[in-house]
Amino acid sequence: MAKYLLLLYNDPAGWKALSPDQVQKALEKFVAWRQKIINQGIYLGSNKLAEDAGKVLRGFGQVRVTDGPYSETKEVLGGYFMIEATDYNDAINKTRDCPGLEFGGTIEVRQVDPMVPSA
Amino acid sequence: MNSEGNASGSTIPASEMVDHLFRNRSGQMVSYLTRMLGPEHLDLAEEVVQEALLKALQNWSYHGIPENPAGWLFRVARNAALDAIRHRSLTIEKEAQVEAEYLGRGSTRIDEDPRLEERLRDDELRMVLMCCHPVLSSDARVALSLKTVGGFNVREIARAFLTEEATISQRLVRAKRQIRDLNIKFEMPVGVDLPARLTSALEVIYLMFNEGYAAQSGEDLVRDDLCMEALRLGRLLADSSVGTPAIQALVALMAFQAARLPARVDAAGELVLLEDQDHKLWDQRLVAMGFQYFSRCSEGNEISQYHIQAAIAATHAGTSDSKNTDWKMILDLYDQLMVLNPSPIVALNRVVALAQVQGSLAGLEALHPLGNEPFLKRYYLLPAVRGQLLLDLGDRTSAAQNFRNALHQSCSEPERRLLQRRLAECGADS
Repeated sequence: MAKYLLLLYNDPAGWKALSPDQVQKALEKFVAWRQKIINQGIYLGSNKLAEDAGKVLRGFGQVRVTDGPYSETKEVLGGYFMIEATDYNDAINKTRDCPGLEFGGTIEVRQVDPMVPSA
Repeated sequence: MNSEGNASGSTIPASEMVDHLFRNRSGQMVSYLTRMLGPEHLDLAEEVVQEALLKALQNWSYHGIPENPAGWLFRVARNAALDAIRHRSLTIEKEAQVEAEYLGRGSTRIDEDPRLEERLRDDELRMVLMCCHPVLSSDARVALSLKTVGGFNVREIARAFLTEEATISQRLVRAKRQIRDLNIKFEMPVGVDLPARLTSALEVIYLMFNEGYAAQSGEDLVRDDLCMEALRLGRLLADSSVGTPAIQALVALMAFQAARLPARVDAAGELVLLEDQDHKLWDQRLVAMGFQYFSRCSEGNEISQYHIQAAIAATHAGTSDSKNTDWKMILDLYDQLMVLNPSPIVALNRVVALAQVQGSLAGLEALHPLGNEPFLKRYYLLPAVRGQLLLDLGDRTSAAQNFRNALHQSCSEPERRLLQRRLAECGADS
């Protein structure tokens, strides 16, 4: 088993037209999906990120701080889930039904590289 | 990752979220914020509420549903409203601003206020009465009530009314402009204004209900929602300090009729008429609600047309099998209704009851003068009823002609199919 980070990107502008009922339905799907992976025992954690672009620090002698990279794009990194899976295929299959993919969302799946055991 | 490993599920499961929680709470929040911001900022109130709902979607998706979902939504909406007031440096009436600030700094957090639900109902009530201001057109009153208090969006209203979205949008924009221009207040009407406003509210609620009830396609749940929202608003008024016997009667009527919704369409999606309905399919919870409000409405001296209509619906609801329906009692009630509200539609319904009591021939005779009613000229039910009476009397040729005439008038798809089935019974081709 390895850890996988699911980065959820979405375009909040697409949600503006949703009715309260539709917002609730979308939320119920999300809550149900989260509950499902909790029940499967593969849920390691999740967090919503603040709705700003964040900050980027660049170091080369002196550290420079700039605004995050997503301020110009429509899609924003909304949050992440950390799950357990055997390999990328398994991780992808477990992510396929994530409601974050509705309304044109994107999910980036990254494996957390396990620490190489010391000899 | 330690801080996030909360996989034990301390959060509330999705099933705890009541149906239409967001829809109903958004109506309450818009009402509550409109009181704070003033009716001229209704748009802003709606924007802020939408923002709160989307925040909930994004937040709860990752963290689960909080312990007090409604309190969470209200806190977020209120904060967003305060932000909007500061950032947009709005020209808001001082008083509203002070109140907003007070609520922002107050020692009682809104989600902990024991009187919150009571205050919210009060806000909703004022909002309904504002939306039912007589200067607004009746279409606008319905659309505005659904949008603000009902928590329907433009697309849902348009679908429920089988109208274009643009039409509904224009209606809403115009209504909001009128509210601004005429400086309509968000307060309880007093003196002679109150009964007038209540009458208007009753009309709006009844119109809303009928729009959902008539022409049920059986495919679009929004139309059922419309009925249930009308019932909810009716109860809001009926249970308030301004509730009148007429309102109790209207609620009883709507509850009885809504109880029949599950029996109105069969498994194949075909319309089932009242006399053919399986009473066991009626929603018993709503039937009980109907009787509860019906007994309350008879406490006063006032007899409104809603009283009689509720009594007719109660007679049907109190019958376990439609074969045992007390048509004599129903005919008697229609006679009373004709005195209070002598409309051609009521007259047509009375004929149906009359035919049950005195026979189809008597029904046909009573139907005859209605043929000259201009209002019924294009109404499919007139030839449909005549066709049915003729069919009962065995005159298949004349019956078929009447069903064909009925099919030429506008009616819903399920109604059309019902007429075609009747036409087939006449042994005639369409």
